[in-house]
Amino acid sequence: MSSLQSHTIETPNEKQNRHKAMEAIKVLNTLKEGFKTPPKAMDYFYNLFEDVYCKQKALHDDKVKVGTMCIQIPSEIIYALDGVPIRLCNGFYTDDEIGSDFLPQKACPLVKASVGHLASKNLTDKPDMIYSPTTCDQKTKAGTLIASFGYDVVDVDFPRTKESEISREFFRRSIREFSADLSLKMGKKLSKKKLKASISKIGYAQSLYHRLSDFRKNRTVPILGNDMFLVTNAFFFDKIDNWIDACEKLVDELEQRVKDDIHAGGKISPRIVYTGSPPIFPNYKIPIIIEDSDAIIVADETCSSNRMFNDRVAVDEWFVNDMIDSLADKYLKACTCPIFSKNNDRIRRIIELVKSHNADGVIYQAFAGCTVYELEQRSVLEAMEKAGISILYIESDYSPSQQGQLSTRVEAFVESLKIKNRNK
Amino acid sequence: MKKIREFINKADIRKFRFWLQLFFFIIFIYGGYFAINLGNSIPVFSCGFDREVGGMCYFLPLQHQLARPLDVLLSAASISVLIGFVTFLLWFIVFNKAWCGYACPLGTMQDWITGLRKKMGIRFSTYTQPQFEKLKKIKYIMLALVILSPMAVGMGLLDREWVTAFCEICPGRMITPLFVGDISQWSLDFSTKTAMILTSLGLIFTGLFLIGSFFKKRFFCFFCPMSAMHYIFSDAALLKLKKDGDKCTKCGDCYAVCDMQIKDIADDVTSTNILRDDCILCLKCVAACPEDDALHFDILNMKLFTSTKGGFEKRMGMQTPKGTTNE
Ligand code: SF4
Ligand code: SF4
Ligand code: SF4
Ligand code: SF4
Ligand code: SF4
Repeated sequence: MSSLQSHTIETPNEKQNRHKAMEAIKVLNTLKEGFKTPPKAMDYFYNLFEDVYCKQKALHDDKVKVGTMCIQIPSEIIYALDGVPIRLCNGFYTDDEIGSDFLPQKACPLVKASVGHLASKNLTDKPDMIYSPTTCDQKTKAGTLIASFGYDVVDVDFPRTKESEISREFFRRSIREFSADLSLKMGKKLSKKKLKASISKIGYAQSLYHRLSDFRKNRTVPILGNDMFLVTNAFFFDKIDNWIDACEKLVDELEQRVKDDIHAGGKISPRIVYTGSPPIFPNYKIPIIIEDSDAIIVADETCSSNRMFNDRVAVDEWFVNDMIDSLADKYLKACTCPIFSKNNDRIRRIIELVKSHNADGVIYQAFAGCTVYELEQRSVLEAMEKAGISILYIESDYSPSQQGQLSTRVEAFVESLKIKNRNK
Repeated sequence: MKKIREFINKADIRKFRFWLQLFFFIIFIYGGYFAINLGNSIPVFSCGFDREVGGMCYFLPLQHQLARPLDVLLSAASISVLIGFVTFLLWFIVFNKAWCGYACPLGTMQDWITGLRKKMGIRFSTYTQPQFEKLKKIKYIMLALVILSPMAVGMGLLDREWVTAFCEICPGRMITPLFVGDISQWSLDFSTKTAMILTSLGLIFTGLFLIGSFFKKRFFCFFCPMSAMHYIFSDAALLKLKKDGDKCTKCGDCYAVCDMQIKDIADDVTSTNILRDDCILCLKCVAACPEDDALHFDILNMKLFTSTKGGFEKRMGMQTPKGTTNE
């Protein structure tokens, strides 16, 4: 805006920044003011997102930044080699539109936005290199496209079936290659001590997530699902030590809130488990509609949140190769990504979350264009029906339109859950 | 009660196991010095060739009993055979395979060799899955040797040297007596051709035992006929290793720490009784599982030790950002 005041012509990058700032601030304001008073400790996160997305503040100037295209690149290894992992999955409509020039109109908005963002070269924490696991088709192809913009992109082979022993061996080797490549680029050897320390640190960060999630099992849910998405989203790019400090404070505050019986939802708000294509800031369209419709998200099964934190690594002897193998197994075998041939694990996880969090229903979002989540919809719906769990399937994208129609469907679903609860 | 539960579930199982193993090692290897005698139907390799043994490996008496001529075996003598067997069964049924993980002197020795390797900073080796599938059958062949060879002697099909054929090749026979300063087993028996072959095999297997268990955790236990014998009766045991597949995320942590490379422990989400034939019931898997109650060690359906998030975090050094493990 300052550019307008000084009567210079706005550059495309400035325009992009301005549009993104508008998208960001709108969501942040909704979270801050649209609901009951959020926990004080959330201020850290609101400010962080405002700094990064409205004020273009860089967080890691002095560090080597390692971009990742999906969750399957072990950040434990990146930290152990003194890099900072930056997850490049993007949620901005502005970037989605830029990306539309490079990808088919019907492609996944997340991929389009990630590509658009990189294509613009307008990044505050610009990655020095990018690792792209060969997960879904679109991500896989996006890697090559991004390389054509001049980034150093390395494909990391990822198997698309995980039951077989071959796939386990395959991914273990793949991760060994990845760490060898990164260690070469960083000019450092992956040391036993540092890898162990970073596994412990990430493990601790994950424990904090688990503690936060456990509060949401209570009848009194002290935090909104949207705020939780913001917290986990921050892990994509934040300084890990700051993130840990902020979460420790949040844990303490939520504990107090539970004691004081401060519920983030309404009195009879149905409890929702959210699954499907990942909500990534500021695309909280569906989560906001849900919590606006007097429901509360108590858990999720998505790769921008639960899937990133749920599974932790155990090692027997703490030699470098032990740790790498165990990391590889965790990132492959426990992953509930829909790109795999079978999806029983994902279904089991959703059912387990519904049970452990006493949820009333599941909302399944798929981005229009996200083939894998669209493909899996049927089997998940069938499985939920069999388990007697109510589920709503909705398709959405990053565009600000069609809000009304989506709200109507979500509201109707929430109403039906309320009626069901009343008749129980 | 809740406090006690939490204390147990957060326990440092490694230390507990180390001391318990040491305790049983002393009882079994040096029991004679303290006039301890737990009989001779012990369901682990507490070798009868150790002159101070505090409770003898069941295989030694079993082989002698089975070598009796068939008519004797089926007459009055069958009572003593039966008593021996029932005692074995009773011992076993109470503790299940925990005998292997906590009490077997030969198992303990392997763990000590593992400890030595670890200290030297050398990484362990593993089998590939196809190798594993093939090798694990060997223990049943060994069990057949334990049972059929003495019976063949009883029926007059084989010479007397075959009575304790398995003992002749068992590394327990040569190694265990060393702990009481007896080196008499370290010799080749040239009296007959069979004896020579068997004792040479014994020497070879002992060498393999020492080298193998240096590189591979619990190397010998893969091939152990006692483990095969256990498995036949393990369903009846009181202590059980259970799994709640709904709570399992297949993260593979349990598999990563399992000395016996048991894949089912992570990948099988339908069985509730998850004890497999190679398992030594060491409970390392339960200690390494990060999901509440996904794996547990039960006595008569009551959880004695169960996997918990808190216990996992403590053991893996994830309770503080600094991260120190109690390793
Ligand atoms: S949302 Fe779907 S299509 Fe898009 S990157 Fe994720 S898995 Fe691929
Ligand atoms: S030699 Fe082996 S089988 Fe025979 S008594 Fe000793 S430990 Fe048991
Ligand atoms: S399997 Fe191992 S621990 Fe068990 S009896 Fe055999 S040698 Fe001992
Ligand atoms: S450690 Fe626990 S959650 Fe992980 S695979 Fe094993 S049983 Fe399942
Ligand atoms: S399955 Fe568990 S108890 Fe059995 S050997 Fe493996 S780690 Fe030990």
